[in-house]
Amino acid sequence: MLDTTLTPIPKAAQGGEAGPSLAVQVAGITMKNPLTVGSGTYGHHGNFSQFFPVETMGALVPKTIRNYRWPGNPAPRVHEVTAGLHSSVGIPSNDWETFIAKDAEILRGLKLPVIQSVIGRTEDEYVEIVEKCAALGIFAGLELNLSCPNLKQGGLDFGYDPVAAERLVKRVRNATTLPVIAKLAPDYSSLANVAQAVEAAGADAIALVNAPRAMCIDYQTRRPIIGNKIGALSGAAIKPMAIYMVWQLYRTVKIPLFGMGGVSDFRDVVEFMAAGARAVALGTINYVDPMALPRALEGLRQYLQDQGIKDVNDLVGSAHI
Amino acid sequence: MEQQSAPIVFNRHLTGDYWLLEVECPGMAAALKPGQFVNIRIGDNLTPYLRRPFSVYRISEDRRRLQVAYKVIGEGTRLMKETLHEGGRCDLIGPLGRGFTLPEKARRIAVVGRGIGIAALPTLVDEAARRGVQVHAYLSARTRSNLVAEDIFAQHGFAVHTHTDEENQGGMVTDPLVALSKELAFDAFYVCGSNRLAKAIDEVAGRQGVPAEIAMEQHMACGFGDCHGCVIPVTVERGKEETALREVCHYGPVFNTWEVIHA
Repeated sequence: MLDTTLTPIPKAAQGGEAGPSLAVQVAGITMKNPLTVGSGTYGHHGNFSQFFPVETMGALVPKTIRNYRWPGNPAPRVHEVTAGLHSSVGIPSNDWETFIAKDAEILRGLKLPVIQSVIGRTEDEYVEIVEKCAALGIFAGLELNLSCPNLKQGGLDFGYDPVAAERLVKRVRNATTLPVIAKLAPDYSSLANVAQAVEAAGADAIALVNAPRAMCIDYQTRRPIIGNKIGALSGAAIKPMAIYMVWQLYRTVKIPLFGMGGVSDFRDVVEFMAAGARAVALGTINYVDPMALPRALEGLRQYLQDQGIKDVNDLVGSAHI
Repeated sequence: MEQQSAPIVFNRHLTGDYWLLEVECPGMAAALKPGQFVNIRIGDNLTPYLRRPFSVYRISEDRRRLQVAYKVIGEGTRLMKETLHEGGRCDLIGPLGRGFTLPEKARRIAVVGRGIGIAALPTLVDEAARRGVQVHAYLSARTRSNLVAEDIFAQHGFAVHTHTDEENQGGMVTDPLVALSKELAFDAFYVCGSNRLAKAIDEVAGRQGVPAEIAMEQHMACGFGDCHGCVIPVTVERGKEETALREVCHYGPVFNTWEVIHA
């Protein structure tokens, strides 16, 4: 049974009356509640409050930026699959000048922690964009999207290669005092090693999972359906895999985890926290049900009350007995 | 733009392969401009996962209700037909995107549509009628029963030229338009549902130096600009080769014909 029906913004979510404590601390960032959004799944041309006040969430992760202009991938970019979305948008990005003139000014005015997601094709590109972001003085933390082919190492994603991931995070660590969150791809064989490597390199937290690689082929034309041929899979379909990986890393590393991957409602939030996530991001569901986050927040609050749990932090790792 | 859980007034057969859903959503209906669209969530399950975008077929005269004409082509529209009933509710987001531009001084326009693409035209034609603009409609479809909205244009007393694959051999619905446009000065052209027709219209409009617009379709995830999934290649500057990828939900669904026919 899924709680995705359309209901009004809950009044209780605005706070005021005594209730369970929802605040969490992740990587030195104080979030008034554990909910955030997956980068690239929320916010329209700098308009972050189309459906509900952006300050409803504990922290905002805006769309990933690059240190260079990037048009993104060819059309078609999205294809619906069972309980999910197959897509390859390709992280289109404005150049830095447009970003600081437009987006950064909007982000500066927001009254919640903003964790900027960044990506690069080489270590140098990551370090450059990290230094520029840090110098703006408006971000509470930086998320490194490691799901990018390392152009200098044969094109293997940074996030699949413990050695490359460790080197990169070390360089970023030296380039900024801001909290650094490494966002990892869900690679079964390398995940634990990469997580330990980025922890050793000084990452303050890990976000997982990024959307796994996926492909769909039109059975009639026998050709890949989306323009980039290879894409990613996101949405409810990937949740059990993501839960497993959060569970696994909770036992592998000491740094806190941002859990994500197919979160639809408060039940999923509880599941991710029980597996070990300190904070939880809603991603693709934002496209389908733009009120999912405030509804999940209210559902979480009610759940804690019903269960007699006074502090949401008590959920973290509670499935590990 | 808003999200509403709108009461369903009816969901019934329209004509041929098409169905018609009417919902009561006063705010959205009042704000909607011709050519804009709505994004409908079918049920509250995670299958089908995505919303389905539809152009709005018609707005009621009191601007409290809106209609969507659709063809059952996949699982989403099948569920739409079978599970959305009178008395139930429909979750929709709208109005979305940029609609048609009807020039202030327009006196006579031509609208050209094929198949379900025709469903995007009645809101424009109603607006034209309100402003006393004369409309010539050129509609084509596979079969006669699939010529949706023919009755709406006829009710306004506008000239309707039709062309069906079963009745007419060869040629295009725009052939009489091309001939007629030499005598009649159209102030603008509008096309939906066929890039082939758009090319023909662009040529005529270009010769006369008047605007021509086309409503485009693309697979969408969100419909409100967040996912960047619904891009199409668009010519950046008229007559130049440079193209860019633009979101149909944000920059469209209505584009100038010159933006899309060469890109």
